[in-house]
Amino acid sequence: MMLPPKIVILLVEDHPLVRACMAEALLEAGFDALDTGNATEAIAMLDIRPDIKLVFADADLPGTMDGLKLAHCIRERWPPVKLILVSGRTNVPDETLPPGARFFSKPYHDAVIVQEMNCMLRRA
Amino acid sequence: MTSLTPSQMETGTSLAIIAASTEPLLFLTGDLTILAASASFCRVFQIDPPKAPGRRLSEIGSGEWGMPKLTSLLKATAAGSAEIEAYEIDLDRKGQERRHLVVNARKLDVADSNNVRLLVAIADVTAARAEAKLKDELVREKTVLLQEVQHRVANSLQIIASVLLQSARRVQSEEARGHLTDAHQRVMSIAAVQHHLALSGSQDVALRSYLSQLCESLSASMISDPTVLAIVVDVDASVVDANKSVSLGLIVTELVINALKHAFPAHRHGKIVVAYRCRGPEWSLSVKDDGVGMSTGYPQAKAGLGTGIVEALARHLQARIDVADSSPGTAITISDEGVAATRAAAV
Repeated sequence: MMLPPKIVILLVEDHPLVRACMAEALLEAGFDALDTGNATEAIAMLDIRPDIKLVFADADLPGTMDGLKLAHCIRERWPPVKLILVSGRTNVPDETLPPGARFFSKPYHDAVIVQEMNCMLRRA
Repeated sequence: MTSLTPSQMETGTSLAIIAASTEPLLFLTGDLTILAASASFCRVFQIDPPKAPGRRLSEIGSGEWGMPKLTSLLKATAAGSAEIEAYEIDLDRKGQERRHLVVNARKLDVADSNNVRLLVAIADVTAARAEAKLKDELVREKTVLLQEVQHRVANSLQIIASVLLQSARRVQSEEARGHLTDAHQRVMSIAAVQHHLALSGSQDVALRSYLSQLCESLSASMISDPTVLAIVVDVDASVVDANKSVSLGLIVTELVINALKHAFPAHRHGKIVVAYRCRGPEWSLSVKDDGVGMSTGYPQAKAGLGTGIVEALARHLQARIDVADSSPGTAITISDEGVAATRAAAV
């Protein structure tokens, strides 16, 4: 019997250590993890991988587009994709988030994030 | 011998009062001719004192007091149809900085109804306004700076947490991995206090919310099946200062980790209850499990007291540790009986 395909999650985080740690946490949790360090590349990846089900992004990314703008862009272009945003800032009001996006402040506990992902993707 | 009439004396007195006023004052007729200008008015607005009385307001200085808006308001006041209260207007004089003025004007009740009299008080608030604006800017700057510091601290803590977890994944020995994941939990428990402080904006932490979040994190990372084991938080409405909450959080982390590791072998079902109560200066924190208990191979050293962290923190909090058999399970209580206990000991 074939195993069901792994759910694909895109991780957008510019700090290499934080990114590597989260990517491994996702793999340990049984997800397929794609990762990048900036919003432009993230959009390029979403363009070529329609199987991405959830995007986990840092709100503060380098370059012209930050994580918050990226999240709004994703909500517009790929509405079914689930969104989780994280930030070191505490002043991120709910109204600034796209509808349905979940927010966690840094430092987040990787196990708590994985639990939330399972919940959002409705896995057992 | 001639003497002054009562009316003349009253007028004289009034003019003297106006002249002596420390606040810039003008005494005007109904058609805005100056009857008297206080010495302070002449000094503040650089008007030659003898040149003021008898002239129209719009004529003194270089004509800068002939502002149409002020003229029409004063005329309306003279007509009895208005009273100028805290009216703000700018004074522009050639070659000089703009001044911000606050004008108050009233029509005076005089015996002779044919002679209208206006009393006009003018305050130069330019300096006060500039100071207030500077203060506001400084407060805004300070808020932004604090937020930036908070942001950096949060990012740094995230890096530390990530490094610890990655190290745990890389080490070969199970024991070393355990130490690193425990260290990760401890860092997260302290980081959560930072987060709650940033949220509350004060130096105090609401314990129920903090300990609930802490136990949720511990549960998410250490309990693979929540139907088998659960952590229950039973905390009153206490609010404690940052330092105390860091210590309490570390104690809870230590005791809960050890209960999860040792109290429920072989998929034993169970519950860990983290409780906190406070009454005046007395408080008590307890972590109780309904697991295998100490008598059946869960010795005191494994009850979370082996690392010495809980003892050190209890000492720091000037509290005592009590380990009891709660059949089933174990109950560990950290409590401070308050000042009374200290006094009794001293006697």
